[in-house]
Amino acid sequence: MVDLVSSWANAGSVLTVSRWVTVIGGLLLASLAVLVLCLQFGATSVDVRTVATAITHMFRGDESGSPSLRTSEIIMVQIRFPRVLMGFLVGASLAAVGVTLQALLRNPLADPYVLGVSSGSALGVSLAILFGIGSAVMLLPLLPIFGFAGGLLALLLIYRLAQSKGRLPIHSLLLAGVILNAILTAFIMFITSIMEPNRSAGLMAWLMGSLTAPGYPALGVFSMYVVLVLAILMHKAQLLNVLTLGEETARSLGVETEGVKKQLFALTALLTGAIVSVSGMIGFVGMVVPHAVRLLIGSDHRLLLPASALVGGMFLAVADTLARTIMAPAEIPVGIVTALAGGPFFLYLLLCRKDRML
Amino acid sequence: MKRRQQGILTGMPFMANVSARAYVDDAGRRLYLAKPPARIVSLAPSITEMLFAMEAGDQIVGVTDFCDYPPEALKKPKVGYSNPNLESLVALQPDLVVAPNDFLKPDVIVRLEQLKIPVFILADKNVDDIFVHIQTLGRIVGRSPKADAVAMDLRRQVAAIKQRVQRMVPVRVLYVLNSQPLITVGPGSFIDQLIGMAGGMNVAAKSATPYPRFSLEAVLQEDPEVLVFPVGKAEGIPESEQQTWLQWSTMTAVKRGRLHQIPADWLNRPGPRIAKGLESLAAILHPDSAIDSRVHR
Repeated sequence: MVDLVSSWANAGSVLTVSRWVTVIGGLLLASLAVLVLCLQFGATSVDVRTVATAITHMFRGDESGSPSLRTSEIIMVQIRFPRVLMGFLVGASLAAVGVTLQALLRNPLADPYVLGVSSGSALGVSLAILFGIGSAVMLLPLLPIFGFAGGLLALLLIYRLAQSKGRLPIHSLLLAGVILNAILTAFIMFITSIMEPNRSAGLMAWLMGSLTAPGYPALGVFSMYVVLVLAILMHKAQLLNVLTLGEETARSLGVETEGVKKQLFALTALLTGAIVSVSGMIGFVGMVVPHAVRLLIGSDHRLLLPASALVGGMFLAVADTLARTIMAPAEIPVGIVTALAGGPFFLYLLLCRKDRML
Repeated sequence: MKRRQQGILTGMPFMANVSARAYVDDAGRRLYLAKPPARIVSLAPSITEMLFAMEAGDQIVGVTDFCDYPPEALKKPKVGYSNPNLESLVALQPDLVVAPNDFLKPDVIVRLEQLKIPVFILADKNVDDIFVHIQTLGRIVGRSPKADAVAMDLRRQVAAIKQRVQRMVPVRVLYVLNSQPLITVGPGSFIDQLIGMAGGMNVAAKSATPYPRFSLEAVLQEDPEVLVFPVGKAEGIPESEQQTWLQWSTMTAVKRGRLHQIPADWLNRPGPRIAKGLESLAAILHPDSAIDSRVHR
């Protein structure tokens, strides 16, 4: 498979419009196929065809059929579809943020959770659960709102800590982020330790990362938000290319690096805060997908960023489908699947393509 | 270690009767007490409740942070819970520590043994174990007559509930421990047994683990007739979150408005209030059969 991909997407080659269109077009088609495939599987034996039949009957104005068909329809439309879409969006965002941060921080170990914004979100949610604030008031999802607020506070704090004389040095950004991360994580651990064991299990399960089926209003808002931020990130892809050359070089090429760094930090933080608020901490996608895609198609961010997003989306959608079905009707935390499925594949890529890592 | 090698028969139940004051706990450890203990530390809320029920409250010198019943338990010194503070525990100079098998950090028992503090471990696998434990504890602490009476009374109550719901058609139940992600109880958990005894059928019966994260799809397919939410001052799902279940309007439980709350402590704690918990669960599942309808909400 690696050879097949590299034949049409040879790394290091000049990025042409036709190559961009081929790779992204191919990945878009693949994403669509993966999404439909993921819809096919679940804890219940509901599949796409029966539901499609049910829906066509509904539009023709027939009787909605038997109650069991009605349940199948609800399972597909209200539970499985939103969850699969959610998985795709979260995966795409995680991978895109990973690519951006790896370039911005010039650190191959960077992932969306490295800068403490995620812990801010997680702490927001933990506090909401600790004080028994419900997940929804008048259909307004409260937990994500708490999470997002926590993420924003962490973002401001890190920015305030890291900046000096109007500049944002990368090393102080990284240090401030990592340390704040540790402090906030300690607060979360403290909260779980003072909760009654029966109840902290729920919080732990949430922290481990899980995808749930959101209602359509929430899903709509979330997807619009994610698509908007991703679009802005894509727009900045060329700047990422320049940044990876080093700040001095970037500045000599006429890039106003300070402004770009601040914008990129804010964009990634806004996206991370939102992701963690809805899905907890799903590890591995944000770090490994960018590397895997880079090994396959090279490191031009104009192609790498959208390609990583699509691959990340597919990866998480598939991983979550496995998490939903392996032990059905029980579910396993999706983070376990992403690590167990993604890790060995990445090691295999590393084995074949060690030269490209450098 | 030394204590374990005293004989090949260690761990056999009948060893409990070898001497009047020798007991074997659920971990197979042997305990010998020359006289009934006067300074007991309880390391589980259920054990505290058992001791108070057999009127041995005066002998308790330390309890966990979560021991809140009966109210007198709140006045006892606290020693922590899953990771008890060994210093404050030892400072209480207990002559017996009664500990649960679960939830406790494993090295705590080892440390207590090294410190020569007698430890008695209780493992509650089913409801009958609770009654046996009450009687055993009664013998250990010298409150046998009262403990036997308590156990007898509980057995009678539970048998009456069982008999009452026996003729009823089992009701499909989902017990919601956590909504997001959905966590419920499966086979092997204590509450799953209680659901069965109260005339219910757990919709998560096919789960392989006792406390599974559960698929919402499977819930809709199994179509529970009753949703039960454990609540308490320290745990439970907020009211607003329970309302989110109303969106599944095809679910029988939602159609019939059968979303019920139950005090979590009654069901979670394998102690003397279990009969009360079972009674209220049975009243929720089979309201028409309830003799005591006060607990039905």
